[in-house]
Amino acid sequence: MIDAAELDRLRAEFADELAHVASNRDLQGLRDKYLSRKQGVIVGLLKNVATAPAAERPRLGSLANALKLEIEDKLTQRRAALDADRPSTGSVDVTLTVRPLALGYRHPLTIVREQVEAIFVRMGYQVIEGPEVEDEYHNFEALNIPAEHPARDMQDTLYLGTPLGSGTLLRTHTSGMQIRYMETHQPPVRIIAPGKAYRRDNLDPSHSPMFNQIEGLLVGEDITMADLKGTLVGFLRQLFSADTRVLFPPTFFPYTEPSADIFIGCLLCGGSGCPVCKRTGWLEVLGSGMVHPAVFEAVGYDPERYTGFAFGVGIERLALLMYGVDDIRAFYENDVRFLQQFPS
Amino acid sequence: MPAEELGQLLSMRGFELAGIETAGGSTVVDLEITANRPDCLGVIGLAREVATALNLPLRQLSRGAPAPLSLASLEVGNNELVSVTLEDADLCPRYAAAVAEVTVGPSPAWLAARLHAAGVRPINNIVDVTNYVLIELGQPMHAFDLARLAGPEIRIRRARNGERSTTLDGVDRALTPDMLVIADANRPQAIAGVMGGAESEVTTSTRFVVFESANFDPKSVRITSRKIGLKTEAAARFERGADIGAPVLGIERACALLEAIGAGHAVGPVVDRYPSPRPPRQVLLRRPRIARLLGQSIPDDLVEGYLSGLGFALAKNAPGWDVSVPSFRVDIAREADLIEEVARHYGYDKLPTTFPELREPPASSDPRVDRDRQARQIMTAAGFTEAITFSFIEAEAAARFTDGAPPVPISHPLSEKFSALRPSLLPGLLESLAYNRHREQRDVQLFEIGRRFSREVGERRTMALVWTGTSAPPHWSGSQRPVDFFDVKGVVEGFCTRMGVDTSVARTKRPYLIDGRTAAVQGRGTELGTFGQLSPKTAAATDLPPQDEVYVAEIDLDALDAVMRGMGRGEGRGGRDSTGQRVTPLPRYPSMVRDVSILVDDVLPAATIRGTIRSAAPLTLVDVREFDRYQGKGIPEGRVSLSLRLTFCSPERTLTDAEVQQAMDRVVAALTREHDAVQR
Repeated sequence: MIDAAELDRLRAEFADELAHVASNRDLQGLRDKYLSRKQGVIVGLLKNVATAPAAERPRLGSLANALKLEIEDKLTQRRAALDADRPSTGSVDVTLTVRPLALGYRHPLTIVREQVEAIFVRMGYQVIEGPEVEDEYHNFEALNIPAEHPARDMQDTLYLGTPLGSGTLLRTHTSGMQIRYMETHQPPVRIIAPGKAYRRDNLDPSHSPMFNQIEGLLVGEDITMADLKGTLVGFLRQLFSADTRVLFPPTFFPYTEPSADIFIGCLLCGGSGCPVCKRTGWLEVLGSGMVHPAVFEAVGYDPERYTGFAFGVGIERLALLMYGVDDIRAFYENDVRFLQQFPS
Repeated sequence: MPAEELGQLLSMRGFELAGIETAGGSTVVDLEITANRPDCLGVIGLAREVATALNLPLRQLSRGAPAPLSLASLEVGNNELVSVTLEDADLCPRYAAAVAEVTVGPSPAWLAARLHAAGVRPINNIVDVTNYVLIELGQPMHAFDLARLAGPEIRIRRARNGERSTTLDGVDRALTPDMLVIADANRPQAIAGVMGGAESEVTTSTRFVVFESANFDPKSVRITSRKIGLKTEAAARFERGADIGAPVLGIERACALLEAIGAGHAVGPVVDRYPSPRPPRQVLLRRPRIARLLGQSIPDDLVEGYLSGLGFALAKNAPGWDVSVPSFRVDIAREADLIEEVARHYGYDKLPTTFPELREPPASSDPRVDRDRQARQIMTAAGFTEAITFSFIEAEAAARFTDGAPPVPISHPLSEKFSALRPSLLPGLLESLAYNRHREQRDVQLFEIGRRFSREVGERRTMALVWTGTSAPPHWSGSQRPVDFFDVKGVVEGFCTRMGVDTSVARTKRPYLIDGRTAAVQGRGTELGTFGQLSPKTAAATDLPPQDEVYVAEIDLDALDAVMRGMGRGEGRGGRDSTGQRVTPLPRYPSMVRDVSILVDDVLPAATIRGTIRSAAPLTLVDVREFDRYQGKGIPEGRVSLSLRLTFCSPERTLTDAEVQQAMDRVVAALTREHDAVQR
């Protein structure tokens, strides 16, 4: 029996089914279900109206027609909405995978080296380069490291089987270049010498026979240890952070006197102690000192007139600390998955 | 004072703390002693440091002192029980010896415990006493069984050719005349300063010992120790410079300990062979120099307190002090050394922090630094990722890549993998390439800027690249093609051009590259490098997957720089240090493009064809390049169809069709005439 309540029920049912329509196909199916002239719900409805009491027929008929128009209207609206969502011809699926920008990456050791160089260039330093194959004089004797001296143990050397030019060994530090510079220039001197250095160390997670260093040298008429402190604290605070704590325990190098190691507060634990800083709370990052008078004498600078300081930093060491790499060998395996993690 | 605090105190004075442990009820503070402080290889040296740091007096060993600090009172003279002859005073500046009557047995518990704590194994009371003196005073000593010394005599001399000695560790060693030995009447009984001989070792049946307490030349001990491959506690101290004032002190201490533990007593005087007594070194310390070096003056009382605490004797004078250096401080030779002593006890952290003034404009950096950076930028822009590989490689790999001369070998290399200097960057890069290929990377582009080493040209700055896989990363929109020869050629030419040098390319051969796919690149007549496809044999030797096509290139950056520097004003193409670069005026009139397709012999180099075209065409020809090349169906055997695009442009006017046609006719005529070309 048809009545207003029945119409409402049909209306609600239609609304519910319309909500589940996701495609034109669904929509067509729904349209057929309700509006098909043969078996559609509306047709069935109108047939029912015809069997209603005569007095009711006009009212029910008009309600049924109203519902039909409503349904048609909603179907049309829905159709329009679906059409609007479809991309028009010529448009693209913006979420497809790209042809990637084929830029390569700089090696992390290069990135760190260039950062360190930039800080010192801003302080007025000049970058110099020199040969990796050195002679005994420039690598040792001029630096106050005589032959047959235990200080040489600190620098176990890789010698060449046959000399290459005047060089007989792979330099153990880039200091030779500083000697060469002083031999050919008068003070003041403000230089940094980056480059590879070599030691007789087996390759393991924390050592490598080849490593990268930057050494610096400042010579003038009144350079003091206070200047050394200021320079290196300034450098470390630019490289790490403005509140990096710095410690200067004394140490020994044959080419500087006094000498100091430079430690920074552990980056990982902040000083409370952890495996990275071997529970000391401090990380060693630099070696430094006031240039030994014997070195000035070797290059012909008057030690009465000039003073200076020198320092050295290991690039691998900095990179290990800055990037949290725990195995130095990663820098030489050149796994692209590793190299491509560094900013360009 | 807690051990941690003590450790901290000493580490801030130059003795890095290695660790703190408990051993047998006592706390042991383990410190790293730097090579310049052999005086601290004995507890007394460190005690002196602590006393100075805390401004406390150091208790001295002396003859009258109670047991823990006592020294035996011995006369100095010849001992009738053993004769001592010092033959080589250069290698042994001082030799002291004494005889003691002993009862050999185990050491008392307190002595053994102290040795244990210091990491020394107790052996018997005599040897233990000598080790105790070593650890306490830093003075190495040795004990001989007097009955085993022929003579009995002690002769300090160089070894003779053919002499041998079996040392305490049971090893029989050959001796050479550059080694100093302690010998009896017949043969060596100890290798001086290194280790005693087994023959005269103290045993339970020993009744009389000869104590040796000497000073040996550091260099000689070091050379000997290295030569026989024996590193001992004694050698470590002599190498670094033992105290020339300590030999007799050591004897007196040892004899006092002997008595204290009831093991025996000295018999007769102590022999002291000291032919050239060394006066203490005198160093002038000038007050103003302290401030000059440190950046702050230190009050006199502090300077005097630190230095006298450390054992120096000071006499004030006008500029500062005359300082007398104690014999145990072999590291103090000049003023700067004394200033360091003052500074490290004052505390580096108490010094001010200032910044050095820049009074002159900074000088420019080495141009090679900027050049390398530029090279790196170009290569990363071209899609290459930077690698850093070792400068030494396997000798065998090196041999494959040399420029003719044998590779430079490393002496006593760490391993076979590191046995020669690399003559080329390619072997290392190929190894990295293989590493990546074995880890699921299909497309790999790597480059490196570094040094290579050759006997012919020395050390050279070089850029090398390796490339395998697709020419561009794979994409759903189209097919990929593998990287090929012309991709690498493009990178090589592009690189050189952007670095400032236009190049030309010619065929060449290299043993590691496929013949026919190898080229040399030249700039202004100078060879700059080579590139091409890696030969399968070389690829296999490098453990690359066999089906990979690998392209490589290597450019000598020093040669490139030399060419750039040799170029005149206005010829430079780019690069930061090219001067007088002139901007080329832009074309003001439209260009005319004509294509021509010809059939030529396939062995005819494209460069030749382009050369003929340029010669035949008027100066208005601004560009000629191939845009298509076809062989196969419809083309006769041995011939190739080449299509070229010619661009004409005049700086003065728009060219007419007729002019361009005339030029094309001349070009075609020349091609037909010179190269038997047939126009298609």
